[in-house]
Amino acid sequence: MTAALSSVPAADFVATKVEYAAVLPMFIVFGMALVGVLVEAFAPRRVRYPIQLVLTLGGLVAAFLVLVLYSRDHQAKTAGGAIVIDGPALFLQGTVLVLGAVGLLAMAERLDSAAPDTFTQSGSAVPGSPQEAAAVRMGATTTEVFPLVLFAISGMMMFPAAGDLLTMFVALEVLSLPLYILTGLARRRRLLSQEASLKYFLLGAFSSAFFLFGSALIYGFAGSVRFGEIAKAVPQVGGMDSIAVPGVLLIAVGLLFKIGAVPFHSWTPDVYQGAPTPVTGFMAACTKIAAFGALLRVLYVAFEGLRWNWQPVVAVVAALTMIVGAVLSVTQTDVKRLLAYSSITHAGFVLVGVLAMDRTGVSSTMFYLVAYGFSTIAAFALIALVRSSGSEATHLSQWAGLGKSSPVLAGAFSFLMLAFAGIPLTSGFTAKFAVFGAAIAHDGTWLAVIGVLASAVTAFVYVRVIVLMYFSEPSGDTAVLTPSVLTSTAVTIGVAATLLLGIVPSPLLDLAHDSSLFLP
Amino acid sequence: MTVGGAESALFWIAGPLAVAGALALLFARKAVHAAVGMATAMIVLGIFYIAQQAEFLGVIQIFVYSGAVMMLFLFVIMLIGVDSSDSLVETIRGQRWAGLLLAAGLAAITIAGIGKAAFGTPRGLAEANKDGNVSGAARLIFGDYVWAFEATSALLITAALGAMLLAHRERLTPKATQADWSRERIRSGENVAGLPAPGVYARHNAVDTPALLPDGSPAELSISRVLRARGQVGTTGALTQVTQEIEHEVGDESDEQATTRKDDDA
Repeated sequence: MTAALSSVPAADFVATKVEYAAVLPMFIVFGMALVGVLVEAFAPRRVRYPIQLVLTLGGLVAAFLVLVLYSRDHQAKTAGGAIVIDGPALFLQGTVLVLGAVGLLAMAERLDSAAPDTFTQSGSAVPGSPQEAAAVRMGATTTEVFPLVLFAISGMMMFPAAGDLLTMFVALEVLSLPLYILTGLARRRRLLSQEASLKYFLLGAFSSAFFLFGSALIYGFAGSVRFGEIAKAVPQVGGMDSIAVPGVLLIAVGLLFKIGAVPFHSWTPDVYQGAPTPVTGFMAACTKIAAFGALLRVLYVAFEGLRWNWQPVVAVVAALTMIVGAVLSVTQTDVKRLLAYSSITHAGFVLVGVLAMDRTGVSSTMFYLVAYGFSTIAAFALIALVRSSGSEATHLSQWAGLGKSSPVLAGAFSFLMLAFAGIPLTSGFTAKFAVFGAAIAHDGTWLAVIGVLASAVTAFVYVRVIVLMYFSEPSGDTAVLTPSVLTSTAVTIGVAATLLLGIVPSPLLDLAHDSSLFLP
Repeated sequence: MTVGGAESALFWIAGPLAVAGALALLFARKAVHAAVGMATAMIVLGIFYIAQQAEFLGVIQIFVYSGAVMMLFLFVIMLIGVDSSDSLVETIRGQRWAGLLLAAGLAAITIAGIGKAAFGTPRGLAEANKDGNVSGAARLIFGDYVWAFEATSALLITAALGAMLLAHRERLTPKATQADWSRERIRSGENVAGLPAPGVYARHNAVDTPALLPDGSPAELSISRVLRARGQVGTTGALTQVTQEIEHEVGDESDEQATTRKDDDA
């Protein structure tokens, strides 16, 4: 026993150095999530909501300020190579923080009442049961969603900054697990919400297994999970392509699932429809940002040397994603499902940018993600306001004539629809211009052509919604609720960003270009 | 790379066991059988790890997977009931065959790929186990991969929070005490003395046997409603029949009972 102990050289263990200045924003978000859990445990029920709202928003703002003012000057590969804080990582982390805060405003909406509006009062009660009614009567709250959102955001910040496959896998789970739970907590149509949550969880677990399988193959190929080591191993190791290529493709499957690319998109419409509407906006915006960040890092840093093997596959996926998303969005009759297919189409557009394989690819992708994120969070926040007999009116026919009954909402929604369609003077146009420009400059003209055609198809869908709102007579009892300052702020920020990025896109384009270099 | 005689013997004995366990997990109709199959596969895997000098991993495999995780599975099976089995009806036609075909295709591609690959020389265990197996694992977990290790704490907290949210029913009102129940009974005037106890007889007593009312009919209230919902309420027919027979023999039979008995005999 003593011999075994003395043979252990404990003294020469060197603790891994962490550049705390670089990872401080992640620590703040994670720390605030932990504080939020403690608040849930000890604060009385009545004061939980205000405390959580202030803590969560404060944490996100503080993390963003630290990121912009401090961490930006401390870019580093840290924690033994597990975390890489470089330009793209910082840009995407900042975007996730801002959009997370905007999404949180919409999620915290209570419509000037004491009762929560978005989330169920009692996630454990059977829908429609006496327990649920009692929970509503007693004023129960589900303020646990605030720490859950923070956990998801900390995972989303870690995902594009991961420096090895292991950290990336853990980050993938950290960001997914809270989203599975949040999806199942809708206040209305709870069975639909719970079904969506279960579907998301099962398919997500399945795709995680693909990612893990791919990582194992790559570890067998390169002898390391670090992206830098893998990139070095790619040109050196001969005769092992038959392990490396399936490995890359399986990892890509895991990431493309999160992005919602065809043929891994089948969860998207159901989950987007079932989840609480502001959560859908948050998922659509922030999950995409994190997942595209991770995809960029995997494809650009680790597997750049194998691009002739994976590039055609990803190109086909991008084309399919655009075509299937656009065609299926035509047939949708539910606003949330329509936007879900629209988000699939947009994922295809962003993939076109990813395939450019140089700085313009990174910068155009990142710009697109920012533009799409702001528009989509605002759009879903608006959908949450349209109600019919106590429930959300998501069927398209219920939106008829909204232009007359509530011109502000209809105007804002129409503007966002035009941005999704890519009409000039909106952020959607600039973003599409950037990704298609990057694609055309790098042999991706056929993809750009498909992208433009798909845009035309989706433009028809969006314009149809606008026509429905303005040129048909109102029917039924559809009413638009007056939002509190929270949703109003979220929508205003989203619409303003969509407009600003359409008129003066150059500051953000320049920032994206400046922060488009990966640390090897 | 050579494998010793003992190790290959172990492999050829334990390997089929692991495969059999895994197949049992897939094909068993009953949840308990599937769980036992899974436990077998897990334990045999642990033995393999130990045989390959990864003692730490092997012990953890047996402790954590076979011990903790399997116990959780069994608890879940207990909660949902041993008898419940999945419906094996396909909701999408031809899904099973299509799935099998795709899985076989994926397996073929992967096996062909890995079989074709030219692996380099293995680095050997000596380097990895230089400081002892546990120290080597500790060095990796707390050294190179400390970030991933620490980040999993977020997963655990999220899982606990999610379980609380989705499964824990928060108590909204103070729990009623015995005094509260008593007060409530007297106020309502129903069952003032409490609900009747289940049947206690000279030769037989059990919670699933209802008590008898003065007229000989079973007292529904004396049985827990859970047992009634499950259809596990015992019958009192045999008991009352014995009583009636004894009463008949001693000639202490009421007229009413006598007529019903004659009807039964007829």
